[in-house]
Amino acid sequence: MPDTTQQTPAFTARGLTKTYGTGAATVHALRGVDLDVRQGEFTVLLGPSGSGKSTLLNILGGLDRPTSGTAHFKDTELTGMSDADLTRYRRDHVGFLFQFYNLMPSLTAYENVELVTEIAENPMDPAEALALVGLDRRSRHFPAEMSGGEQQRVAIARAVAKNPTVLFCDEPTGALDSTTGRAVLGVLADVNQRLGTTVMIVTHAAATAAMADRVIHFADGAIREIVRNETKLKAEEIEW
Amino acid sequence: MVAVPSPLDRKLLRDLWRIKGQARAIGLVIAVGVMMLVMMSGLVNTLDETRRTYYDRYRIAEIYVPVTRAPERMLDRLAAIPGVAAAESRVAGAALIDVGADAMPVRARALSIPDAHASRLNDIYLTAGRLPRIGRSDEVVLLEGFARARGLALEDTLTATMNGAKHSFRITGLAQSPEFLYTTAPGELVPDDARFAVFWMRRTALSAAYDMKGALNEALMSLSRDTNAQAVILAADLLLADYGAAGAYGLEDLPSNRFVSEEIRGLRATSASVPPIFLGVAAFLLYIVISRMVQAEREQIGLLKAFGYSGTEVSLHYLKLVLVIAVAGAVVGSVAGIMSGSGLAVYYQGYFKFPFLVFSIDPRSFVIGFAVSILTASAGSLFVLMRVFRLTPAVAMRPPTPPDYSRAFDLARYLHRWLDQPARMVVRRLTRYPGRIAGAVVGIATGLGLSVSTLTTVAGFDKTVDLTFNVMDRSDMTVAFTSALSSKTLLELQRLSGVEHAEPFRSVPAVLRNGTFSYRGNIEGRPERPYLNRVIDGVQRPVAMPPQGVVLARPLADILHLEPGEILTVEVREGRRPTLLIPVTGIAETLLGAPAFMEIGSLSRALKEPGRISGALLTMDEAETENIRAAIKDMPKVAGVSLKEDARNALIRLMNEGPGSVRYIMLGIAAIITFGIVYNAARIALAERIRDLASLRVMGFTRGEVAFVLLGELAVVTLIAIPLGIAMGFGLTCLIVKGFSTDIYQIPVVFSPRSYGGAILAVLGTSAVSALLVRRDLNRIDMIAALKTRE
Repeated sequence: MPDTTQQTPAFTARGLTKTYGTGAATVHALRGVDLDVRQGEFTVLLGPSGSGKSTLLNILGGLDRPTSGTAHFKDTELTGMSDADLTRYRRDHVGFLFQFYNLMPSLTAYENVELVTEIAENPMDPAEALALVGLDRRSRHFPAEMSGGEQQRVAIARAVAKNPTVLFCDEPTGALDSTTGRAVLGVLADVNQRLGTTVMIVTHAAATAAMADRVIHFADGAIREIVRNETKLKAEEIEW
Repeated sequence: MVAVPSPLDRKLLRDLWRIKGQARAIGLVIAVGVMMLVMMSGLVNTLDETRRTYYDRYRIAEIYVPVTRAPERMLDRLAAIPGVAAAESRVAGAALIDVGADAMPVRARALSIPDAHASRLNDIYLTAGRLPRIGRSDEVVLLEGFARARGLALEDTLTATMNGAKHSFRITGLAQSPEFLYTTAPGELVPDDARFAVFWMRRTALSAAYDMKGALNEALMSLSRDTNAQAVILAADLLLADYGAAGAYGLEDLPSNRFVSEEIRGLRATSASVPPIFLGVAAFLLYIVISRMVQAEREQIGLLKAFGYSGTEVSLHYLKLVLVIAVAGAVVGSVAGIMSGSGLAVYYQGYFKFPFLVFSIDPRSFVIGFAVSILTASAGSLFVLMRVFRLTPAVAMRPPTPPDYSRAFDLARYLHRWLDQPARMVVRRLTRYPGRIAGAVVGIATGLGLSVSTLTTVAGFDKTVDLTFNVMDRSDMTVAFTSALSSKTLLELQRLSGVEHAEPFRSVPAVLRNGTFSYRGNIEGRPERPYLNRVIDGVQRPVAMPPQGVVLARPLADILHLEPGEILTVEVREGRRPTLLIPVTGIAETLLGAPAFMEIGSLSRALKEPGRISGALLTMDEAETENIRAAIKDMPKVAGVSLKEDARNALIRLMNEGPGSVRYIMLGIAAIITFGIVYNAARIALAERIRDLASLRVMGFTRGEVAFVLLGELAVVTLIAIPLGIAMGFGLTCLIVKGFSTDIYQIPVVFSPRSYGGAILAVLGTSAVSALLVRRDLNRIDMIAALKTRE
């Protein structure tokens, strides 16, 4: 890993707030969040439901806009971008992973990856991406022919195949059993280390925190605490 | 106490609100289907009932007995025929009305009204002014339709030639008559208020004009219930044989009644064939849309069951949802149907010249409309619900299994080289869900078929006009004589300066019979190879008149059940009134009327009246039109002259104002239904794929690229639907056109590229608008929400 990644933050958030609804029904999803995320960092966001962690992820991922405050991706301000620019940003820089894998059921594993590499600027070979997640032998299978863990691994392959700068994962193991979950986390850690991809994971599973460089604890729409991990565990070592 | 709605009912209301756009589109389709049914049946019932009441109230005669001249005392003898309830005598005469120095006189019929009392039969309805005073020979009541068409008013002067003498009358009243709901210019079929007049005078005054003092030349009779009209007609003819009986006839042969009956019959046929097609299409759509809508609710159904709701409760819940839409649509359709039906009836009141309307609606139409809507809606949902119930509730609690594409025929693999991934998704979905796609294809094809058939029907009307006046009748002017004249008259016409070509015709009124089938019409004599007044066959080739025998128009052959080689019985109704037996030698396609054709020489020989003609068709130098008109006006024995332009306009008017006008309403309804189908197809496709589309957006696909995945499917479906829709359109056209064709005009099934092109463009346009609407919804997708929920 080059050292420069240590200096320029991948993301800078300042005073981010997000409210939904008006009047009595107003929900404060974020109440002024300041955060810097280094490039190549592996971050885990922990907190109860509704604490704002997913909202932050969505804003940084260009899926949502804050009510106030600013968010920068490197030197670019995300908060001022047009819809088309945000699309461009997601296309070129961002990989997403969700609890439900959201694969295209009508495309094979290989084609699901190819879906992204077709439109990306500097993609890897779809076969290579599948090999990365250990699914090179399943590339011609449709999602319906795969287990949940396999589907999620295809989703990871699809997310990393474009060589994204950052990988956002919202409850990536939420629908998986512990063994499969560990395997998926292992793949994410591997991607982080081998490709230098910044990884941010939102999760309920506190055990995941043991893998992270930093753990950010959320409560009531704000950051309560940031903990730096001095000794990172490997995915297979964490207690589920 | 206010009942608190159950949670399920509240869900129902919110669901309805959620799918309001779609619910509206479905409701609209049902509504127009039901509206069409209720409207048409209400219209026909109202017109029928109105005519019956009008006839009753103004005591229309059931038997008409024209004679040359009979003493008044014969009326008592007629009244004594068993079965005759009332008899009335009158004087009737032909007259020519002068409508200005430079115009041809208009043929008219003068009728007497009793001196002392109102007519016992065929009373008139005075719309303005008063009846002529008794003893006044210069006062007339004029038929309102003619007065209106010619801009004549009360107190205006009417100049008429009667029995060779010119008279001037003051118009004291305007009237409508159940006997003259429809008037045509001589020798024409198509009604034209401006070119035929009827006026009434007191009996004494009219008798003086026609030398009919103490005599009658027409008797009218009404019958007691269950009387055999045919027997009375025979008895009357026998009784008046010595007085020049021209052949008594019944109300059904009264031209005006025949026309009105035919028009109402046409409307009835239209109302029996067209609305069911529309309702059937609407029902089919409803089925498709509802089944797909319920399909989309799969997960919610599973959840409800998991909460402990029974299958019946859940079924009822969804049934209620579709029933609310179906019933609301049917109610709106019924109300709209009643309103538009009475609106149309008011319109037709003017057209048929009814003085009043007796509104009457057909309760059966409501029952059918509601039953069809509710049954198809329920069937659409029940069928799907049954399938959904096979799932255990637990299925809904687990992450969804992606739809399995591995077992489908994989067309995309074969097209691998040409397809990018989004295109592959479109192709795979088409091959994976052939059933769903077929449903959408058939739906859109039906919409297209409906548009094609209505547009083709409209084009068929134009074709009738075009064939009649450009292909068959190629003359500029038709001259009709008051009675058959020597063919030397033709030479006189030919000699007129400016006349280019003159072709004679002979028209002989006759009753045409084949066993028990009969038709009161004309035998038309034409030259062997008519040039100006052609008869054409099914493929528009001119038909030559055979040296012997008669050629029947297709509708006449159908009425009489005759085929070539069989014998037609012709009871001639003029001159010596012979009965002829003539072999049928051919069937011809005609679009106007139901004529029988013979070669003019052969007709003359059969009548034993050689060298006689009833009139001629002329082509002429346009610049000389006025001179020719003036010259013909001064010729004796000319009953009327009609310019082809007038006849053509009269036919167009008839088609646009008569029952044919319904075609435009159909066109509108077809457009609504087509839009309902296409929009729903697009909307459902969006609902089914919202997650995939949101995923694509998240991955960085632009709105346009995502829209391609969704709308590409719609485009392919629409393209597949086009050929199918064209085929369906052709079939539907045959059905619809049959309903519109009447005794007076027939509508051909034409292949009009313009109609097909127009319909295809309309469907493509509708698809484009639907695509835009859906794309708008697509732009509003909440990506996060769509991805975090399960299907």
